[in-house]
Amino acid sequence: MAAAPGALRRALPSIRSAIVQVHPQNKSQLTRLFSTSLPSQRLDSSSSSSSSSTPEYAIPDPSRPTHFGFETVTEGEKRERVAGVFTSVAESYDRMNDLMSFGWHRVWKDHFVASLNPGFSPLTAGPDPRGSQHILDIAGGTGDIAFRMLHTAHVLNNNPSVRVTMSDINRAMLTVGKQRASALPASQQAALSFVEANAEDLTRTRPLQPLSDAEKATTKHAFFDPATATSSIPSNSVDLYTVAFGIRNFSNIPAALREARRVLKPGGVFACLEFSKADKHPLFNALYKEWSFRAIPLIGQLVAADRDSYQYLVESIERFPSQEEFRDMIVDAGFVVAGDGYEDLTGGVAAIHKGMKPRA
Amino acid sequence: MPCPGTLSVLSAGSAATSTATATATSRLVLLLPLRRPGAVFSASRSTIAFPSRETSPFVNRDKPTAIARSITTSTSTTTRFPRRHLPHTHQHHHVVRRQYHSHDHPPPPGPFTPAESALLGAAYTHVAAQGFSREALALGARDAGLLDISPSLLLGGSDGGVFALIWWHLYTQRNALAAKAAALFASEIDGSPGGSKDATAATPSLGGIGGGIRTVSERVEMLAWARLQGNDEAGVVGRLQEALAVMAQPSYVPASLKELALLADEILYLAGDVSVDPSWYTKRASLSAIYAAAELFMTTDQSPGFRETRAFLRRRLNEAAEVGSAVRSAGEWLGFTASAAVNVLRSKGVRI
Ligand SMILES: C[S@@+](CC[C@H](N)C(=O)[O-])C[C@H]1O[C@@H](n2cnc3c(N)ncnc32)[C@H](O)[C@@H]1O
Repeated sequence: MAAAPGALRRALPSIRSAIVQVHPQNKSQLTRLFSTSLPSQRLDSSSSSSSSSTPEYAIPDPSRPTHFGFETVTEGEKRERVAGVFTSVAESYDRMNDLMSFGWHRVWKDHFVASLNPGFSPLTAGPDPRGSQHILDIAGGTGDIAFRMLHTAHVLNNNPSVRVTMSDINRAMLTVGKQRASALPASQQAALSFVEANAEDLTRTRPLQPLSDAEKATTKHAFFDPATATSSIPSNSVDLYTVAFGIRNFSNIPAALREARRVLKPGGVFACLEFSKADKHPLFNALYKEWSFRAIPLIGQLVAADRDSYQYLVESIERFPSQEEFRDMIVDAGFVVAGDGYEDLTGGVAAIHKGMKPRA
Repeated sequence: MPCPGTLSVLSAGSAATSTATATATSRLVLLLPLRRPGAVFSASRSTIAFPSRETSPFVNRDKPTAIARSITTSTSTTTRFPRRHLPHTHQHHHVVRRQYHSHDHPPPPGPFTPAESALLGAAYTHVAAQGFSREALALGARDAGLLDISPSLLLGGSDGGVFALIWWHLYTQRNALAAKAAALFASEIDGSPGGSKDATAATPSLGGIGGGIRTVSERVEMLAWARLQGNDEAGVVGRLQEALAVMAQPSYVPASLKELALLADEILYLAGDVSVDPSWYTKRASLSAIYAAAELFMTTDQSPGFRETRAFLRRRLNEAAEVGSAVRSAGEWLGFTASAAVNVLRSKGVRI
């Protein structure tokens, strides 16, 4: 990680000069990547509801320091800022993913879903007598993973009993997802539900209340407030928990992993697709970093007029633990793994991590 | 498939040969005492063996047998090499040591995590009926009290763990050879010729001495045959073409060749081949090729007890001394595997 701020520092001057030439008025943004006037003292009571056996770091604590890009902020602050980022990019989100991955993210997502093969049941034994499959897509955003899951399960594996719950902390993202879902076949729409939830505490959720057009215009931070929770995701109720390009945004990853383990049935699978470290290939890595640190925030500025959000996305990728470190976190949360526990995609620019909740 | 360093096997077969001569010669002296079966190592010899190993450009990835035989303790191996490479060394070690020590060792850790072993071990029992398939994996998961989704834990691309299941087959069959060797050669080790009826029954008529001390070639033939019989015992002979088609996919070729090389290595080691001359690599290459050809022959063999396969195996081994036979077998294997792959793909509707 030590190299990361260095890379940023190296990248900044050239970005600065590029911007200064084009838009001199933007200079102030470069020294202050995020407004420090964001509200940060919201207290939520999630920590008190956690059992005493839980390690301290796994209990969400809004006042504990965490990272926001390369800044250190409290967990509560990060949650709000992340919500802000994704509210501002919700509409231009697909474009952003294409930029970050050179379009690879579609291939990765296809591969991710194909390798999980949701809805597959052995033909010779028939449907599982223990009930139909339930997939929980966390940080589901605008639905890229959830829709692929439905297609694979219902169409390719001909198993319409599979249900998918798509969840996100951000109502704006989920609202876009719900709009997109209206293009799905009716049977798939019927098997899909939308839930507002913070991945770090799935005991307090509520069904999506889509953002109205009026709200869209006025709401800056459309994140879910746990005080408004009306439901929860029960323990041992999920066959497959997926999180794609979401987990690096979480304030408290151990808490999210602990919740993943709780909601999964024994034998259930945790699967994570995330940007990762390409440092096994130094040259490629250097080029990729140049691209992401220099070009992406600039393009974000030009395409979405939102430099801060894109800057954050690049930094959060850099901050995220290495493949091995993250695998160890998954094991520490009580999952078992196969092989090395992860699989690199495109030289490690992204990686898939998997873990299984063991039988009790 | 996460199988680090799989390419090394390719170098072992080709580019490495010249370097091998130097390495082999430097080891020759150290290993000489081992040529006598039952020789006891002295402590000083084991310590001498270490430096040559550390400076060797060929750290024991592809040539672990000589090293395993040259040391009497595996501690340094354990600390220096990643988990995945250990079983091989340990296993040799185990067999060698059993001649001198009465106490038993824990089973080797193997390249599979406990979760993988549970899934794959249960799935393997369904291969005979369901092939190397997702069906077998899902049925195995249910047997193990897990969910239909559980096999998706397995890594290795979008085939949902099918190659992992094939690898399990290759690995467990190879691993089982040590025990088979112990049973087959029990009479020799005991020094009571003809003591084991099994061994006598399986003795090939290669013009060797029945019952008593066999030649290395005879033991190689017996072991290769024992490994082929393993396919029959597991009921997977009818599924091998399918497996070979998967193994021939570009992303799995390195791992598949690596397993084949390890099998040849294992057979030669268990047969007591201790030669460390330049023929070290060619011998392994020809045995790999012959074994692979015999296994392919087996997939279409209808004769009772796979008699024809055994005849084929013997013929090839007898020819092995002739120049070029290894190359021919390898070519045959590639050709056959490619056509098997094409057939399987065609049956799946791919237009080739
Ligand atoms: C980059 S998007 C990924 C969306 C989608 N999974 C995909 O692959 O296209 C990241 C998502 O994580 C969500 N997120 C961030 N922090 C979260 C949290 N603590 N709990 C749940 N979702 C969160 C954001 O709202 C955002 O929608």
